[in-house]
Amino acid sequence: MSAPPPSRRLSAREWARANLFGSRLDTVLTVLFTLFLVWVVYRLGRFVFVDARWEIVERNITNLLVGGFPRDQLFRLWGALFVLAASLGFGAGAFGAQRRREVAEGRAEELPRGGVRRLVPLFLLVAVLLWFSGSVEPALLVLGAFGVGYAFNLLGQRTPQRLERFVPLAVLAGVLAAFLVVAAFDGVGWSLWGGFLLTVFLAVAAILLSFPFGVLLALGRRSSLPAVRWVCVAYIELFRGVPLIAILFMAFFMIGFFLPEGVDAPSLVTRAIIGFTLFTAAYVAEIVRGGLQSVPAGQVEAAQALGLSPFRTTTRIVLPQALRAVIPGLVGQFISLYKDTSLVFIIGLTELLAVAQNVTKQPDFLAQGLYVETLVFASFVYWTGSYWMSRESQRLERRLGLGER
Amino acid sequence: MTAATASTTRRPPFWRNVRVLRVVVQAVFVAAVAGLVLFLLDNVVYNLERRGIPTGFDYLRQPAGFAIPDSDFRSTQSLGDALLVGVQNTIKVALLGIVLATVLGVLIGVARLSTNWLVRKAAAVYVETFRNIPVLVIILFWYLGVMIRLPPIREAVEALDLVAVSNRGIVIPWFDQVGAGAAFGVVALVAVAAAAGVWAWRTRRFDRTGEPHRRGLWAGAVLLAVLATGFVATGRPWTLDTPEVGELSTSGGFRLAPEYAALLVALSLYTASHIAEIVRGSILAVARGQSEAANALGLSGFQRMRFVVLPQAFRISVPPISNQYLNLVKNSSLGVAISYYEVTKVTQVSIAQSAPAVQAIALLMLIYLAFSLTIAAVTNVVNRRLTLKGRA
Amino acid sequence: MSVTENGKPMILLEGVSKWFGDFQALNGVDLSIGLQEVVVVCGPSGSGKSTMIRCVNRLEKHDAGRIVVDGIELSDDIRNIQEIRREVGMVFQQFNLFPHLSVLENVTLAPRNVRRRPRAEAEERAMALLERVQIPEQAHKYPLQLSGGQQQRAAIARALAMEPKIMLFDEPTSALDPEMIKEVLDVMTELAGSGMTMVVVTHEMGFARAVADRMVFMADGEIVEEGPPEHFFTDPREERTKQFLAQIL
Repeated sequence: MSAPPPSRRLSAREWARANLFGSRLDTVLTVLFTLFLVWVVYRLGRFVFVDARWEIVERNITNLLVGGFPRDQLFRLWGALFVLAASLGFGAGAFGAQRRREVAEGRAEELPRGGVRRLVPLFLLVAVLLWFSGSVEPALLVLGAFGVGYAFNLLGQRTPQRLERFVPLAVLAGVLAAFLVVAAFDGVGWSLWGGFLLTVFLAVAAILLSFPFGVLLALGRRSSLPAVRWVCVAYIELFRGVPLIAILFMAFFMIGFFLPEGVDAPSLVTRAIIGFTLFTAAYVAEIVRGGLQSVPAGQVEAAQALGLSPFRTTTRIVLPQALRAVIPGLVGQFISLYKDTSLVFIIGLTELLAVAQNVTKQPDFLAQGLYVETLVFASFVYWTGSYWMSRESQRLERRLGLGER
Repeated sequence: MTAATASTTRRPPFWRNVRVLRVVVQAVFVAAVAGLVLFLLDNVVYNLERRGIPTGFDYLRQPAGFAIPDSDFRSTQSLGDALLVGVQNTIKVALLGIVLATVLGVLIGVARLSTNWLVRKAAAVYVETFRNIPVLVIILFWYLGVMIRLPPIREAVEALDLVAVSNRGIVIPWFDQVGAGAAFGVVALVAVAAAAGVWAWRTRRFDRTGEPHRRGLWAGAVLLAVLATGFVATGRPWTLDTPEVGELSTSGGFRLAPEYAALLVALSLYTASHIAEIVRGSILAVARGQSEAANALGLSGFQRMRFVVLPQAFRISVPPISNQYLNLVKNSSLGVAISYYEVTKVTQVSIAQSAPAVQAIALLMLIYLAFSLTIAAVTNVVNRRLTLKGRA
Repeated sequence: MSVTENGKPMILLEGVSKWFGDFQALNGVDLSIGLQEVVVVCGPSGSGKSTMIRCVNRLEKHDAGRIVVDGIELSDDIRNIQEIRREVGMVFQQFNLFPHLSVLENVTLAPRNVRRRPRAEAEERAMALLERVQIPEQAHKYPLQLSGGQQQRAAIARALAMEPKIMLFDEPTSALDPEMIKEVLDVMTELAGSGMTMVVVTHEMGFARAVADRMVFMADGEIVEEGPPEHFFTDPREERTKQFLAQIL
């Protein structure tokens, strides 16, 4: 009795009619936009493939990626990359296996899988960087890192269930180990880091350091003790009402004055981390506050009715639910931070954007107006990272949304 | 029974008394915070004195020692005056930026919901591009990649003798008063009054007969007609001042300095991409049932948007959009990277000259706080007026 | 009874089918509703009741079959759709009043802008309708200041203000607290008594027994059984109808 659904596959003609030439206005818009887009694509394509002098990027690709990092120590970065690949691959494998089991047991809903397509922006970035490097070894090393990552991914999928709760710790230990490979054992301290390496380091360090601080501020803002609340509100509103560059100025020019006599002022990179952390903590606090508000009052009442102490109620009942809900917001904040690290260029640190500016002043390229090439390259690097993360964050948001139902 | 009553009225020992504990905890917290702040301030004062740097704000009366391009500010004027010029420049770029970003953002946000596939995708590409690149990179691109690459003044590009574009800036035609301005002012008042009258008449007619009022069209036409007649009748008191390209500079017209133009365009494009997402989200957030009810009543597509969807979307979008305005004001501080003399650049140059860094940066932060609080206050007023009646 | 004066039904559905993706919500529904007839549609959730009446004024687009309302065949022509919507009033489960407009503005919006009524006339009529649904004192309040029952009665007044020939009710009492259901049903009963053609999707079987001219029972996107309420409630033919009634009564 039940008839099959009528075919909803439109022919190309029907599709064009419905989506491009639906009305007279639509037709006009379609024609105008086609002309405009053809022009834009032509100009962009011509610049990228014909006019641009990419040699400035090719010759400076190491500068752009690591800045003034000592060249004889570069092997440490490759080592760190391998360690990172291993730990992240392991984490992804273990987490994926865990989710698949939850889905199989009906404890989680399955999401359409993006698979490898989700990583396209990153692959694009790596491919372009390798292309600019112009030699074979980096490509082989990157392939090797992928291989290691994949091997540890397989290993991660075999994590015994009882060890699963240690996976995040293992990943964190891996990241720490990668850092130590670079900085410890007569290595290179972060005050010598530069380029894209510094960009990523500043963003990661600031978000990690500001997180606990931000959570405390958020709890303080929701506290029933007025004095605590006011202090936290004052901090949050002060730092959210002021541009980041003003705070970086403060960190650069003023930190020396705040220290007692005899204490040396920290390095420029450290000052930048302090500035970013103070700034980001205020934003993290507001994101976490949103998460705290999303926990129904009934949860607290239920915990109190069970006789849990206020401390236990907060740490065992409220925070776990609130923090789960704020993960997408935190990723968004991390993306902002990733883009905002470009500001340290104004105060003289050599992260990606600063290198992109400085190389145009090299003798070989001086006064040739090659700003556009280096800026487009920097934009591309920022864009791929930021776009990829915002996509993942939307995915996460959808998944958490599904979980709530 | 009596025992139970007694135990509830008896006061607990003070270390278990919730009321006492609250006071103690707060006192300890405040003491700790105050102690930290005092410790830092003490260090600052000590360090300043040790290096012989003045501790007050008297430095604002010192001569600046630098000039500000594109303004009347002379280097002999005080640092305080320089800061005021900086504040003005911040406001100049922020106000126009807010207008441009809003117009562009609303257009793109609506385009993202277009039924036309090409329009929809183009808007999406715009948003995804500008949202994911640091605003500082966009500012530098417009300054280094576009503005200063324009032809030198001798080869300035002119369009219809109205606009002159060169690496010294963009010059647009401006009005120049040559006759009786006051008389024309009266005419303008009359025009506005006449337009308002026609507006009221069309509204009343619509109320009486129900025929379409088209009051915007009518009022606009009346306004233009009266202005045009009055302009001729008062002897053409204004002329259009078009730019003249000279050897080293342009004269006439209104010049947008390259720094200003780059910052304005970059901030507008960047903020527009965020506003577009808010507009799109707000329209989508108006409950589906509202559109269905409007359809079921037989309202046309335009009427549905005009009477039902947009008023509600507007209400939803006010807080996040005002937040974007705030971001735009704060991002205008990045003018410092291209030497646009807004308040941050002035502060930076002041410090490089002679101003004490601690006070100058504290003052800078206070100025931005004042901007933020102003915008927040305006938002609160607007928000309160828009809150749906009956919602708790 | 089930035809208008000129022999045509007010609403005619012939072989109407509707899919949501691969899920078939309506499967060849045939139904004919006459002038001044009150039809109550019931059935388990997901049976296609709401989808059916939402197809009548094109809130959902049917994929196959014909729908004719008051002699106008529903097609892709926007003018056709608007014409039908003007003749058909609808009341929603969630009221869907416009929260930014006062009750009076809600009721006069469509008459003034679609029917082009003068303001005074539209407001006078709106007050009369609010009188009829017994909330004249709420005219200048905003929807969210009203109780659920008052909101639903305001929504009925809003639909009636367009002077429709047909009224569709999509579970009008499902979102209401028990003590407010009666005030809405009273208004609907009065409306049915005044000779309005009505299609009501509801689980209020007391109302159905008292007011309906005809019962329609739907399941899995099909009309399983229809007939006058006397027979429907006391002596249903189909096994599924019996099961449903046993659960609900």
